[in-house]
Amino acid sequence: MKSIRTRSARAAIVALAAGSLVLTGCSGDNGNKNTKDQSKSKEDAAAQSKPVQYADAAGSTGPAKDVKGATPGGTINVYLQSDLTHLDPGQIYVSDAGQFSNLIHRKLTNYQEDAEGNLTVVGDIATDSGKSSDGGKTWTYTLKDGVKDEDGNVITSADVRHTIERLYSKVIFDGPSFVQTWLSGSDYRKALPDGPYKGKHLPDTVLETPDEKTVVFRFKKAQPDLPQALAMAGYAIVPEKQDTKEKYDKAPKALGPYKLVEYKAGKSMKLVKNTNWDPKTDAVRHQYVDGYDFSSTVEQASQTKRLIADQGEAKNAIQFTTSVDPAQIQDVVSDPKVNARTIKGYQPYVWQLNFNMDRVKDKKIRDAITYALPNAAIVQTDGGKYGGEIAGGLMAPTLPGYDPNYDPFGKQKKPNGDLAKAKELVKEAGVKPGTKISYAYSNTPRGQKQQVIIKDTLGKLGFDVQAKEIDSASFYEQIGKLNNGFDLYATGWGQDWSSPSTVITPVYDGSLIADGASNYSHINDAKVNELIQKALTEEPEQAAKTWEEAHHRIVEEINPAAPMYYSKQLQLFGSNVGGARYSTNSSYININDLFLKKP
Amino acid sequence: MTSPIEAEDATASVALDEKPAAKTTAADAEAPVGRSPGQLMWMRFKRDRTGVVSAIVVILYFVIALLAPVIASLYGKNPYTLYAQEPEYPFLLDDFAMPTGSFGGVSGEFWFGVEPTLGRDVFTMLLYGMRTSLYMAVALTVLSVGTGVVIGMVSGYFGGKVDYWLGRITDFFLAFPSQLFFIAFMPVVTALFVSPTDETPTYLRAVAIILVMWFLGWMGMARLVRSSVLSLREREFVEAAKVSGASRWRIVRKEILPNIVTPILVQGTYMLPSAILSIAFLSFVGVGFVEPTPDWGRMFAIGAKIYEQDPAFMLFPGLALVIFVLAFNLLGDSVRDAFDPKTGR
Repeated sequence: MKSIRTRSARAAIVALAAGSLVLTGCSGDNGNKNTKDQSKSKEDAAAQSKPVQYADAAGSTGPAKDVKGATPGGTINVYLQSDLTHLDPGQIYVSDAGQFSNLIHRKLTNYQEDAEGNLTVVGDIATDSGKSSDGGKTWTYTLKDGVKDEDGNVITSADVRHTIERLYSKVIFDGPSFVQTWLSGSDYRKALPDGPYKGKHLPDTVLETPDEKTVVFRFKKAQPDLPQALAMAGYAIVPEKQDTKEKYDKAPKALGPYKLVEYKAGKSMKLVKNTNWDPKTDAVRHQYVDGYDFSSTVEQASQTKRLIADQGEAKNAIQFTTSVDPAQIQDVVSDPKVNARTIKGYQPYVWQLNFNMDRVKDKKIRDAITYALPNAAIVQTDGGKYGGEIAGGLMAPTLPGYDPNYDPFGKQKKPNGDLAKAKELVKEAGVKPGTKISYAYSNTPRGQKQQVIIKDTLGKLGFDVQAKEIDSASFYEQIGKLNNGFDLYATGWGQDWSSPSTVITPVYDGSLIADGASNYSHINDAKVNELIQKALTEEPEQAAKTWEEAHHRIVEEINPAAPMYYSKQLQLFGSNVGGARYSTNSSYININDLFLKKP
Repeated sequence: MTSPIEAEDATASVALDEKPAAKTTAADAEAPVGRSPGQLMWMRFKRDRTGVVSAIVVILYFVIALLAPVIASLYGKNPYTLYAQEPEYPFLLDDFAMPTGSFGGVSGEFWFGVEPTLGRDVFTMLLYGMRTSLYMAVALTVLSVGTGVVIGMVSGYFGGKVDYWLGRITDFFLAFPSQLFFIAFMPVVTALFVSPTDETPTYLRAVAIILVMWFLGWMGMARLVRSSVLSLREREFVEAAKVSGASRWRIVRKEILPNIVTPILVQGTYMLPSAILSIAFLSFVGVGFVEPTPDWGRMFAIGAKIYEQDPAFMLFPGLALVIFVLAFNLLGDSVRDAFDPKTGR
């Protein structure tokens, strides 16, 4: 998953609710005090980090626990900056559509989140989070009774089969490919080129549906993460009878509590209650409000202004996946009344300055740049303290196994970089002053500012920095090319679910280097690759240790990318909206529990 | 401001004027000695207080822009250093990356405050930004005026087919939506000259901006000059020069050009401030100068985003630009009035 601004989180995140509470508490203070409080929030966050639990049948039965004080009725207004990328579940990999998916689509499994933000994977249309056998190679799901689509058709195992098989066809090109790859290998499309549309199906040795209610997945290797993968929006159910192929992207059929009744591309959307959704079958979602009105033309700055003002329709409004405009953060957090209407937490992204390892071959130079980077100043370009936090390593605070004290480059002590040490390393590496180094950046206001800082720093080290702006829309495409011709480029990456496997594998596995792949630094280290392969098949607890070993080796011994900062989440909602809180699962506002105080 | 018309040329044109008698009497009434139109203009201009004040302001701007590095070194700061990162200024920016001090961080150290986020000095950014804007605008105006005058003169003087085709070409260029064209072509022009991995040098950006804006900046002047020349070329003194065997070049240079200096000068003084605004506009929308070249347009772009949090950052470049454009426009008015009192308000 790429950065927020392009392709982003279907994220599952381990608890940071305590962290956000502390932030709320200290927001009234200013200056020096904050630094202390912040470190405290990190410790608390670490204490809260627990691995995701898998629930049994009892935990997966509906209805979902009532939200305190919730009243039914009313319509919530939703502000979007632009249209959702996709509505067809198979195509959904981006966070805004993922958030939307939770309202209308249903999956085999889903995340349930308690008040502290601890996550449990429960069965969604399945009775539990999945029964594994054969050492994790076989997973069996049984479907709940009474799950229907919006037209009243009962969902059967054939629909689940159809959902998986249609991902093999050319109709689907933008969604996640985890489960397909696990089932049929990386060239999975060859296994079923036309999907299920021409009457062919996957063999029972891969996907078996012995009766109307049972689905069996059979993998070649153990896949302990399957329940979490199936909880991604990309694996939501598409009923066989309702599938309209390409057209489904504009008119999906709902299984969840709301259904789409009006869709004006690029303008607005209207959701109303889905009467065929039975709360008894759903352990996570609620149906408090009568509907949602989406307007997809409200800019970030204007969203923030409207919600700060809190007048008229804005009282019933929420920010969906947009965060507070960085320029207005001060106005939000310094006014206690407005600050009370925010949700705070982390985003799953680590912003890092990648070294192109094909070009910057000397580790001493990479280390020197890492030491020299003034992380504190770089965070300032993204909204300051409420926009991000100095990163020590390359694993975000939202990942299990995140260690707040891991700081091999001493960024906590010297947030503005250690120039003396960096200069020493540059000298040892024998770099002549005036050596050209090319730095590509995305041509956005933030990119330009970061460029000034990075260019300034590298200039102090004696490099002749060639800063090259790249159009922000094609930035990831250009630096994703193997032969991109640049030495340095900053990227942000976030997890797909709360496991390091969705970060370390795509970004640091040397066997995945390819044009357009996300291993932007082209790191290819035999030991790291080996550790990744090992961790992928291990049980969670053991895997955590292997991931940590891999992470430490990457950061300390290879250093393919200088950590810059972890980005934070800050969203506003209207004064009449109840049940709003940070979701550690989506890293946005928790969409499942919302209601209107006075409908 | 000295007269653009040299005394000897002016006398020649006065002598050839259709109403020499009337002018001489007017001059006689004022003073015993004869004055050239240039001297008359200068006299009238000196009496126009608005004009003189505007002229002083404009000259001051040019002097400050020229001396920007000197002033900056006396002041002890430069527009490139990120002062928020320097150890001697630990508390320039707060947690929200906004200046800590009141009114945008204005202090004895930083006269016009500190830039939010990066912590650069606003005063020197403004000085150097002024230099960027003025240099660019002067270069652009000179080029556009030159092109416009040449094309207009050729078109007006030769007439016939030449006039027809040059007129159509001018129409064609006038039909371009200029601002959209700038936005679309700036990246293309820069890409033409630089390898995709190298940084675009600042001078090249400047050249590209000037090229693109020159391309669509000369038509107004060409039209104006053409119409003036058209009315002049049938006049008796031109006929007389033709009859007496003067070469075309001499007629254009000695007979026609001195008589259209006034509209050229007036139009030129209007073009310069509008060129400054256009260049600022390019940087404002992100296709002009990029960081770290100090530039007014980019300062406005930043200021526009944070005007609620840090109004001071918008204030200084805003005031500077408004004063300059106003002064230059008023100066243009005064120059026109001084040259041609009959059209006065």
